[in-house]
Amino acid sequence: MRCCVLPDGHMTFTCFKCTESIFSLQRIHCKHLNEVFPKWHTSYAPAEGVMTSALRAYMTLEVTGVSSNMAASLLSRRTASSFSFTKLNSLLPAAVIQIANYNPRPLRLNLKDPYIPDKESERTPEWQKTEKFERRLFGRYGRASGVNPVKLWPSAARLEELMAEEREWHPPVEQMLQNIAERQMEKEKRRIEREKTIAESMAKMPKLIADWKKQKREAKQKANEEKQKQVRLLAMARERFGFAVDPRSVKFKEMVAEIEKEEKKQRKLLKRQKKEEEQTSITPTADSSQ
Amino acid sequence: MSLIKKPGGKTIEVVKNLPRITLANLRPNPGAKTLEKRRGRGMHGGNRSGWGHKGERQRCNRPRLGFEGGQTPFYLVIPKYGYNANHSRQPQYPPLSLRRLQYLIDLGRIDPSQPIDLTQLVNGRGVEIQPQKRDYGVQLVDEGADIFCAKVNLEVQAASEKAIAAVERNGGVITTSYYDPRSLQILIKPVPFFMPGEPIPKRLFPGEDLLPYYTDANNRGYLADPDKIQTARMDLAKKYGYSIPDISKDTLFEMLVQRKNPRHIFFGLSPGWVVNMADKKILKPTDDKVLQYYGS
Repeated sequence: MRCCVLPDGHMTFTCFKCTESIFSLQRIHCKHLNEVFPKWHTSYAPAEGVMTSALRAYMTLEVTGVSSNMAASLLSRRTASSFSFTKLNSLLPAAVIQIANYNPRPLRLNLKDPYIPDKESERTPEWQKTEKFERRLFGRYGRASGVNPVKLWPSAARLEELMAEEREWHPPVEQMLQNIAERQMEKEKRRIEREKTIAESMAKMPKLIADWKKQKREAKQKANEEKQKQVRLLAMARERFGFAVDPRSVKFKEMVAEIEKEEKKQRKLLKRQKKEEEQTSITPTADSSQ
Repeated sequence: MSLIKKPGGKTIEVVKNLPRITLANLRPNPGAKTLEKRRGRGMHGGNRSGWGHKGERQRCNRPRLGFEGGQTPFYLVIPKYGYNANHSRQPQYPPLSLRRLQYLIDLGRIDPSQPIDLTQLVNGRGVEIQPQKRDYGVQLVDEGADIFCAKVNLEVQAASEKAIAAVERNGGVITTSYYDPRSLQILIKPVPFFMPGEPIPKRLFPGEDLLPYYTDANNRGYLADPDKIQTARMDLAKKYGYSIPDISKDTLFEMLVQRKNPRHIFFGLSPGWVVNMADKKILKPTDDKVLQYYGS
């Protein structure tokens, strides 16, 4: 069947066998179409502008008077409304949709000649006297196997076991959701705490930095002063003794001690003077206030 | 004369006066050709040609890369860590593209007028699932989202956002649900399960790892709140720029709205029932305890 798209967007189909019968989707006249689509009827008129899946499956790619782009898009673009298709494949009525199922595998239950083992006999192997085998017999032969259907379900003891197992290993959904929520909350809490401590520590940082810098600066200053003092003492010693004295020698140390004493005396004098000054300054004011 | 500038100028004159090009006149650019390495020539390169003296080395029989003479090699001694740890126990979800689904529907292997389940997909030979190889179901992949145009009631185990949008845009319904490995084996091969006469078991709920996925409305989880799913549908439509068709006015509305009970493996078959293929009958238990166990 050849498919042709007219410029206005409607489609027409031509049967290969009878080229004279040209039909559009509105009305299908050709009898050959019955051979190709046995479920179609010649009088059947599908809804406007419908292209069925079956049609598409059988359609050849021979499209006349149409560019190759359009041909490709015909088969591939299904949702496009540019070809004035308003309804789509899946919205077709059930009579037109063809479903092709795989045939089911034959069961081969062998119901005419069933093998049902003799329970009392010694010759039947042990495994054919178990409950599991009985269940399988029932499954295969049904009521004809002579097995009591009650045996299919777990016994009371086994049922208890199963329920205990379920209680232990399979908590209900609510429980599980609760556990998840708890874990999530734990995680959040830990995260928030950590962030809080971080924020607090960061808030302290500027002060700590300033303190540290000050400390360093002071230490440096002190070191500088020490060095300078040492230099001064050395110079003084040089003057006094006339030669470069080693700072570790006894002479130098004695000299340093002397200088220290003198300085102490000076400081004490200064202090005493200051005190006297203060006293003199206070008493006149006291006198004046009186 | 010299005012008119000819293109090429003197070059053209020179070229015109040169002899014709022959093989004798041509030569490759320096560095274009390198001489091939020829083994076994010369006093030092010959004799064994750089292959050594006897043994595996000369006879090209060395063991594989990484072999350490029998000692457990480094690449096996070091355990896998992080992403690759327990890789063989990770759940796997073989993909099902929308393109393949459309193909199956078009060929009639899958019936869109009934709910599409993993059973239907396997019956139509659309996917191949191996529960024994840690497959936990099928995931819907968005390849072919632009050509997908079927209205389906789909149930998969995982789906990408774009795939959900593609299904809902066409007026379909998609749900993600969980099947534990035993239930999955029963789901994909029901008849071999019914043959030994076992009662249908309860479908277990997902573990704490997967529960957040299946309670999320954005994934259309089967344990999610239906109202949230409705809002999620609308949000998705806004995100991808389509309008949701109103399925309540659809002829197939009842089919589209059908969803499985979270504890059921099959539509319409409760846990605890025994399906007998020989008599073509379903046997239901009457004992209270049994009913309580299977009904919870």
